[in-house]
Amino acid sequence: MGAISAFGLMGGFWSNQPVRVALAVGGGAALVCAVVGLSTVMRRQAFAGHALADVSGAGGSAAYLLGINPLFGFLGMAAGAAGVMEWAQVRDARERDLLTGVVLGAGLGLAALLLYLDMTVRSVSGAAITVLFGSMFTIPPSIVPVALAVAAAALVASALIFRPLLVSTLSVDLARAQGVSVRTTALIHAMALALAVSLSAMTVGAILSTALLIGPAAAALRVARRPASALVLAALIGLVATWGGIALAYQSYYWTPGRGWPVSFFIVMLIICAYLVASGIARLRAGAPDAPPLSGCQEH
Amino acid sequence: MRTSDRTRWRRLILAGLAGYVALAAGCAPQANHGPPVAIGVESQYANVLSQVGSPYVTVRAIETNPNTDPHDFEASPAVAREIDRASLIVENGLGYDAWIDPLIAAVPRPDRRVLVVSRLLGLPADTVNPHLWYDPRTMPAVARAAAAAFAAMDPAHAAYFAANARRFDASLTPWRQQIAAFRARYAGTPVAVTEPVADLLLQAAGCRILTPMALQLALMNGTDPSPQDVATEQALLRDRSVKVFVYNQQVTDALTTSLLQLARSEHIPVVGVYETMPQPGYDYQRWMVAQMRALRAAVARGVSTDTLGQ
Repeated sequence: MGAISAFGLMGGFWSNQPVRVALAVGGGAALVCAVVGLSTVMRRQAFAGHALADVSGAGGSAAYLLGINPLFGFLGMAAGAAGVMEWAQVRDARERDLLTGVVLGAGLGLAALLLYLDMTVRSVSGAAITVLFGSMFTIPPSIVPVALAVAAAALVASALIFRPLLVSTLSVDLARAQGVSVRTTALIHAMALALAVSLSAMTVGAILSTALLIGPAAAALRVARRPASALVLAALIGLVATWGGIALAYQSYYWTPGRGWPVSFFIVMLIICAYLVASGIARLRAGAPDAPPLSGCQEH
Repeated sequence: MRTSDRTRWRRLILAGLAGYVALAAGCAPQANHGPPVAIGVESQYANVLSQVGSPYVTVRAIETNPNTDPHDFEASPAVAREIDRASLIVENGLGYDAWIDPLIAAVPRPDRRVLVVSRLLGLPADTVNPHLWYDPRTMPAVARAAAAAFAAMDPAHAAYFAANARRFDASLTPWRQQIAAFRARYAGTPVAVTEPVADLLLQAAGCRILTPMALQLALMNGTDPSPQDVATEQALLRDRSVKVFVYNQQVTDALTTSLLQLARSEHIPVVGVYETMPQPGYDYQRWMVAQMRALRAAVARGVSTDTLGQ
């Protein structure tokens, strides 16, 4: 029976249009999140990333009200908030957390109003679930090229600033001595972060967006010893979790009486499993006096 | 259909004066506040109540905005005040308007009757499709039950209420004939839908609804649909396996919008259906006749009726 159902899964799975759209958008989101998430975790901006994702939810909600592509809604709001947070340039970590928290609260409050208006004025059903927790199988196919273009832009931006960002993450003074414009680098990184959380919000929703941004990067940093290997590992974990989650959600249709479970649940569970496994490996290794893992910077 | 505001105010003032006079006279009985108030939670029930009880019953509706999804309705303090005054409340049941039960319990009244339509029809609590008013059997039963309830509140007009209920039932004859004629000619017509809004009417008319129920419920409840069901629905439209796409006007999302576009590009006629009574210019009978006419136009002539005009 297992073989038959697995065969059935593979047969219908690849030809299923909602699945293909989900694989494309989710794959792009996972790659971008892995790359941007890595520098975000290393710069200890996990909380800022989470706040941006939540704030982008207000943009997603506004998109339904305006009748525009939700991706642009997520994107506009996240980019605006990233700009504000970068512009405020608070050095003190505690102050920065407070500011981030305030921005996060304001964004979610705005989202509450906009979601209410979506349902009462525009009568969009399920807007709250879609914006906050994601609804990958309802993404219109027309979003795919836009999403992939956004993903490509984020990857190019990250590649351009990869070196200077790494240097300025380690030491601002060293970066200045090397002629790196710390401010510009940080701003570009903030914008790449905005692109990443927008894609992630389209995939697993604004609330769960952090899981895709931080999870694979954090897991990779537990075990990788070099930036390059961390990058590859984070991308791999993100892709496996996202595509695996889509496959499991598809398969869950056959476990339940014709009602599949939400794909966001499976993706986030797989990411958490990856983190737990990576932590286990890191702990096992800790016994051996080997080269220290890259993650001197742990999660927030 | 509804007593005008001015008359209501006049009545209130008169009632207030009467109460004052009674108090001054020192006997202070229960002040008479004019005709009893009845609430139809959804505007279609209010419309039927009004056709049976007016002008001896003042009827109010709570959900009247056809642009709002009734499933997402939120109650306001004004609604609680209305409930406080009502002697009869007609609700749909099956969880469709479950939000009103705590409000009713919060302002108890010994003489209030609550009529739950799903129970009136003897439907089990796990009935999945709550859009009962599209079933041709529903409203005549509601009208009869309302007449009986009104008669208990105002025995002097019992015969009037009973006659109105019979007249209402008779006024549905053209609609029943439309359904029978459609069934005789087009029974077995395959259709695709979004939500199960008009399913009971489609079934009465002999249509075969090919959209998976799980997808209809996911769209109705705003939950994540399974990709298998989405693909099934897309294939129904793309392969033109259905003659009509029945689309809920009041509730849309990214998926229903893309399905609508797909139906249009495949030249499948679209019939827009409503969850609450479209206004103005419609009563229950006219609304149902218009929906049936739209269905017939779609099947017989391939004509779309996206929205119901006046």
